Amino acid sequence: MLILSRKSGESIVIDGRIHVKIVRVEGDVVKVGIEAPSDVPVHRQEVYEEIQLSNQKALTRQSSPLPRLAGAPAQSESAVNRPLTRVARKPSLQNL
Amino acid sequence: MKCAETIETEIETPAALPANQVRLPMGLLGFEQIKDYVLLVNPAEAPFAWLQVEANVSLAFIVIDPFLVLPGYQPDIPQPDVAFIGLKEPNDALLLNIVTVHGPNRATVNLKGPIVINRLTHVGKQVILANASEYSVQHPLPVTENAV
Repeated sequence: MLILSRKSGESIVIDGRIHVKIVRVEGDVVKVGIEAPSDVPVHRQEVYEEIQLSNQKALTRQSSPLPRLAGAPAQSESAVNRPLTRVARKPSLQNL
Repeated sequence: MKCAETIETEIETPAALPANQVRLPMGLLGFEQIKDYVLLVNPAEAPFAWLQVEANVSLAFIVIDPFLVLPGYQPDIPQPDVAFIGLKEPNDALLLNIVTVHGPNRATVNLKGPIVINRLTHVGKQVILANASEYSVQHPLPVTENAV
């Protein structure tokens, strides 16, 4: 692992297109500013771990009982009921 | 213009997988090696469906249409994921979010990392939303006490 020392206000450039700037250092908290093109996903590591853990907890035996939802909408409203054949409600693909 | 036309014709849509088969080439986070699934939908179990592991039919994830849970859900799917899944327009996407059943009275849904599936090719990916910070990985579902 490459380890660099940086002062507040200094930056690192990765691949000529990703800029990582040390914005401020307050005690044991470092504020980092990241400028990257939109095709570079930037996430806190915890997000990956959180979703991994959630997936592991969610894996189930198929015979497990399903929960009952209060005020569950009519079946016909669910996009899942017409899987992979008809049009779903529009998610917003802002980058599309 | 000619150039654009050429590109258009060169990119061929891969042949769709049969029926309700779903291929997640990257697997799910934490289950990277499991790539092939079958989407099982039983109207009696609505609004839930099962994403069953094809190689082991006893294993499955419970999934739900997130727009039923949260009508104002605005998943911002990162551009590289849109390209990976091969989505040309929003209508081509089926979103399934994984449900965790914690007990008879508590179930949650992961709104940070939906599974986005291309309806035309059945290829999908669990994406981390660009606006993941706006949503919970354990969004509570309005579960009622089991009548049984």
